[in-house]
Amino acid sequence: MKRNLSLLCSVLMMAAIMLTACGGGGGGGGAATPAASESDSKTGSEYGSAAEKKVATFIWVQEFTTLSPLYSTGWFTSITRQFWNCWAWQYDENNKPYPYLVTEIPSFENGGISEDGLVITLHLRDDIKWSDGEPITSDDFKFTWEMTIDPKNVVSSTYPYDNVVSIDTPDAQTVVMNFETPFAPWQSLWQGMVPAHILRPVFEADGTLDNAEWNNNPSVGCGPYNFAEWESGSFARFVRNDNFFNAPAKIDEIFIRFVPDDASQTAALVAGDALLGAFIPYSEAAKLKDAGITIMTQPSGYNEGLFFQVSEEFSHPAMLDVNVRKAIAMSIDFDSFNQDVNLGLVQTPGSFWDSLPFYNDPAMEPYPYDPEAAKKLLDEAGWVDSNGDGTRDKEGVEFVIQHGTTTRDVRQEFQAVAQQQLAEVGIKLEILNYDSDIFWGTYADGGPTYTGELDLQEWSDAPYGFPDPDVYYWLCSEMPNNDYPSGSNSFFLCDEELDALVQLQSTQLDPAERQKTISQINQIFHDKVYWLGIWQDPDVWAVSPKLTGVKFSGVTPFFNITEWDLTQ
Amino acid sequence: MFRYVIKRLLEGIPLLFFISLILFLLMMNVGDPIATMGGRTITRPEDRERLKRQLGLDKPIIVQYAYWLAGNDWTTVDVDGDGVPDKQGTRKGILRGDFGTSLVTKKPVTELVGERIPNTLILMVAAEVVTILFAMLLGIYSALRQYSAMDNFMTTLLFVAYSMPIFFVSLASMYVFAILFKRWGLPYLPTVGMFDPQVGKTASQILSHMVLPVFTLSVPYFAAYSRYIRGTMLEVMNQDYVRTAKSKGLPRRQVVYIHALKNAAMPIVTVVGLDLPFLLGGAVVTERIFAWPGMGRLFFDHVSRSDLPVVMGILMLVAVAVVLFQILTDVFYAWLDPRIRYD
Repeated sequence: MKRNLSLLCSVLMMAAIMLTACGGGGGGGGAATPAASESDSKTGSEYGSAAEKKVATFIWVQEFTTLSPLYSTGWFTSITRQFWNCWAWQYDENNKPYPYLVTEIPSFENGGISEDGLVITLHLRDDIKWSDGEPITSDDFKFTWEMTIDPKNVVSSTYPYDNVVSIDTPDAQTVVMNFETPFAPWQSLWQGMVPAHILRPVFEADGTLDNAEWNNNPSVGCGPYNFAEWESGSFARFVRNDNFFNAPAKIDEIFIRFVPDDASQTAALVAGDALLGAFIPYSEAAKLKDAGITIMTQPSGYNEGLFFQVSEEFSHPAMLDVNVRKAIAMSIDFDSFNQDVNLGLVQTPGSFWDSLPFYNDPAMEPYPYDPEAAKKLLDEAGWVDSNGDGTRDKEGVEFVIQHGTTTRDVRQEFQAVAQQQLAEVGIKLEILNYDSDIFWGTYADGGPTYTGELDLQEWSDAPYGFPDPDVYYWLCSEMPNNDYPSGSNSFFLCDEELDALVQLQSTQLDPAERQKTISQINQIFHDKVYWLGIWQDPDVWAVSPKLTGVKFSGVTPFFNITEWDLTQ
Repeated sequence: MFRYVIKRLLEGIPLLFFISLILFLLMMNVGDPIATMGGRTITRPEDRERLKRQLGLDKPIIVQYAYWLAGNDWTTVDVDGDGVPDKQGTRKGILRGDFGTSLVTKKPVTELVGERIPNTLILMVAAEVVTILFAMLLGIYSALRQYSAMDNFMTTLLFVAYSMPIFFVSLASMYVFAILFKRWGLPYLPTVGMFDPQVGKTASQILSHMVLPVFTLSVPYFAAYSRYIRGTMLEVMNQDYVRTAKSKGLPRRQVVYIHALKNAAMPIVTVVGLDLPFLLGGAVVTERIFAWPGMGRLFFDHVSRSDLPVVMGILMLVAVAVVLFQILTDVFYAWLDPRIRYD
């Protein structure tokens, strides 16, 4: 009986392994290598079908949640989309746009933008096509817009399509977008397309695209690669699109492995089990460099920063004094932190628009580290240690403030440094950490940022729709309250001058005019210390020497993926 | 026995209901699933409002629980997020086998769990088998040679193994057996994943990729189990019936493996029986470090995004397994010890 039980267990175990092996295929690896040996019995699809194929394995530390452009705006979804989907215009390694699906990027000069800024016209290339050979037409553009704003679809965000009032398609190659008011960040439109000829019948049948098979299994795309396979939690494969309308890719297959742990990603890269890693923590950079792996950084608009809460209702009274905020800025040695903890790979940003030099003009300089000057400012502001407990106070109120952020390691390290350095000038910093879903909980959910619990809030952010410089959450109207519980102004900042400028810039389609406005906003931010840069937060890539031709953009990272190749 | 099993199953129903209610209430307070939907970018207020209505997260907790439990196909729901219920609901509820749809991936929970369970089982069952097998061998060996130099050495080694955190064992073993062995020109093991993409997802690939995670999972349990077996074996070996068996002149092997081990195994069956249901839950740390696509990672990925349907689905699966395996353990107990009667 027991022997039979053991036998049964063994058989079940082997069956489980065989079933798992049969559950899917794969393909990819290190470099161009012969296909698997004959002795390795193939159970997945396609293996060994070619004598030799170039397979590049990339590591994503976070799995994309969907492949559809409609249902996720997440970073990994967005960058993966560039393998198999397409954008109206792409961005090069200098984050400069160039036409991709269109013949030229609309401007006032070429007539693509009307004089009043309310009509923008796109002229599509006549040779662009989906991977199944169907042409990409203005109908696809209109359908993408319709599906994004249709309330029957539970899309992740309707932005920026909800700014378009209507779209006219006078012919297959012309897309005319109509706006109610000038919409400056219009270039953030068309970052991924959905095929009308595939999905319109689905929408008509189901009344929604929420459950469309295409969302996670996009059989038809328009990028240099075709989607082949995605096994949740494990891997995704993309094979070269031989029907691509531009030059074909040199690498046959992209194999993306999902490895959520940073140290494991490093080990896999060092061991040669992967050729490209993304989101590399600075702490891992030295180990990777020692193994001959190149670390490449690319500005993507993001900067880690301290956001000051300046609310009469919620904030510590000291936070309302601009000189106190300046004192805080001068009490923390950001440069040394970046040198010691971030290994000198990034600098202290002086501006929220640090990675947009055109708009960060004149370039803002960070406040210098000068604790003595900080102490003087605090003394002048009336914050002195009158009771000798080591913490400054004023009118019976101790200078004790709360600094909250997520649980990311490097953020906790910064909190510890800031706590120590602020203590040296007599400011007591209480540090708090939250999981992201709690940290970002809304006013209605009692989230700590939106309910005024934190005097200093820390996270990494970029202008909305980078490389567009747009910002919106400093608007007075964005302050959360019972009537508007989703308000995004967690700083409870209402500066009328700033408010007017933020609204103005979002309607300025002339880059030169907009530059002036953003420069004014930038100056206010600096002078009134509403935001303090901690470190630049570019995309950090680890690239194996086996990969050649690699360039990255901060907006469309894989803009030249077709030129990437593998060395033997 | 049959009546006993039925009675225990019936007793499990209110228990599971109570567990589901408590877990649901806890999950409703862990975070905002919409907060992290924008990835690196904060979700826009307009999208937050719309998504909250479309996903039904604006409903009172008790209503959400009722929908999760019994479905919403008996009422109208707000599909387009305009605040007005306009369409018949489609959810059947967990009582009718509908675990719902992930808020994050929009995939059915049963599909997500179904994809991961085989991966988790082959890893966890292998780890459990390795653990029990080696723990038995070492535990018996130590018990039979109590206080010998080898027993003392193994005791020290096992305490070290037991006290090492899993993430340390994982990364250290990966560094030694994957990176250093490769550097030294020795046969090396893969770092992450279930297979080498150059080769494909073959049985041999899965086996080779299982070695390090199974080793990592086994180390602490192996240390604990072997000490446990040593203790129970020592206790049994001093019982009168074993002394009688020895005095009858039975071979040592027969005394140890037939007479002593069967009785020493009784408490171990309880421990293993309690462990088995948790095999379904996977191993969060090990699966994460070795990028093994199992239930532990699924749970971690979705709990960090407050994806209530997926997290509740996994927790209820484990809860049901705990109830069932406890009954199975009792049945197995009776099979091992004929003196036990449940009727």
